[in-house]
Amino acid sequence: MSNRVTITATPGVVLRLSPVIEMSERQFAELCYLNRDLRIERTKEGDLIIMPPAFSETGRQNFKLTQLFGNWVDADGTGVGFDSSTGFTLPNRAVRSPDLAWVRRPRWEALTQEQREEAFSPLCPDFVLELRSRSDPLRYVQAKMQEYMENGAQLGWLLDPLEKKVYIYRLGATVEVLDNPSTLSGGPELPGFVLPLREVW
Amino acid sequence: MSKRAILTVTPPLVLRLKPVIQMSDEQLLELCQLNRDLRIECTREGDLIIMPPAGGESGRQNFNLAALFGQWVHADGTGVGFDSSTGFTLPNGAMRSPDLAWVRRPRWEALTQEERRRFPPLCPDFVLELRSRSDPLGYVQAKMQEYMDNGAQLGWLIDPLERKVSIYRLGAEVEVLDNPSALSGDPELPGFVLPLGEVW
Repeated sequence: MSNRVTITATPGVVLRLSPVIEMSERQFAELCYLNRDLRIERTKEGDLIIMPPAFSETGRQNFKLTQLFGNWVDADGTGVGFDSSTGFTLPNRAVRSPDLAWVRRPRWEALTQEQREEAFSPLCPDFVLELRSRSDPLRYVQAKMQEYMENGAQLGWLLDPLEKKVYIYRLGATVEVLDNPSTLSGGPELPGFVLPLREVW
Repeated sequence: MSKRAILTVTPPLVLRLKPVIQMSDEQLLELCQLNRDLRIECTREGDLIIMPPAGGESGRQNFNLAALFGQWVHADGTGVGFDSSTGFTLPNGAMRSPDLAWVRRPRWEALTQEERRRFPPLCPDFVLELRSRSDPLGYVQAKMQEYMDNGAQLGWLIDPLERKVSIYRLGAEVEVLDNPSALSGDPELPGFVLPLGEVW
């Protein structure tokens, strides 16, 4: 019987801050700026989720997703796309960085310049995509998706390359699970967008 | 069917805080208490070093070291021993948790009760660090140097991976031993012999 050792990245380190340290939105943004080599999110309770940079395969998958989605975003023109480094401040005060995000143009343009350029914009994207990495427990990423939906996202995709499953979250519907789908259709929220998954897995 | 063992290699995370967040010693202590599942240290620049709990192998080795050292500490009686969870605030402002530490009794007793309750504001006389898989060698060597620069008299860096031990002594060059079977603590820890078989 052979033993294979697989090295996985650690899941995010959760650093509880409240009530010892209370940071304003501004301070949190400055902290992220000070630690640009880390990926930092903030839970609604004010805890920090700190992660090192992604392993290369995850980066490759993210890049592919951005490329494929980006083509559609430009052709469609009704919304604005964001990459995995972008932080958004959700209505519940959590600050999250989905692997892909898309915001309808009127909402983006309703923000002030400061809210767009000097902050983790105070809104939940209309569409979010999360790519589960090896180190993420399934429950953990499912809870993240749930949080987006509760904070106003209309469509959420959770891609699980490990199990080759896709979880589709829609406003007002139960979660749909697809087993090893070859493509994902974005309609009606992202009309005409088709994601060929073999390019991503 | 092959078995797959998942080996988690977790480098320490460095979270820079200054100048955004300035913490007092008391706040740092409270932060550590709020995050007991993490091992937290603080550099002289005020950066947080965050590590998840030790894995089983590390824990086993630490336990054996503490047990062996503990016997000598109690028999000797001239100093006080501390386990790997203890933080010390060094003279340079850094807060560190060596895997084992020992402080001569008069120094410990000179501290106020409050100072003893918090991260004692002193550098231990003896420190031991066990290098874990995820620690780059340069990183742990720098830690040892920091202890020596801050007043430690004797420091042992035990590297189970390479089966090497680096001995740091005040005023002497670092001595590296290759696969030693035992370590002698003389003269700083008179009569202490650490059999490494239990640790490797």
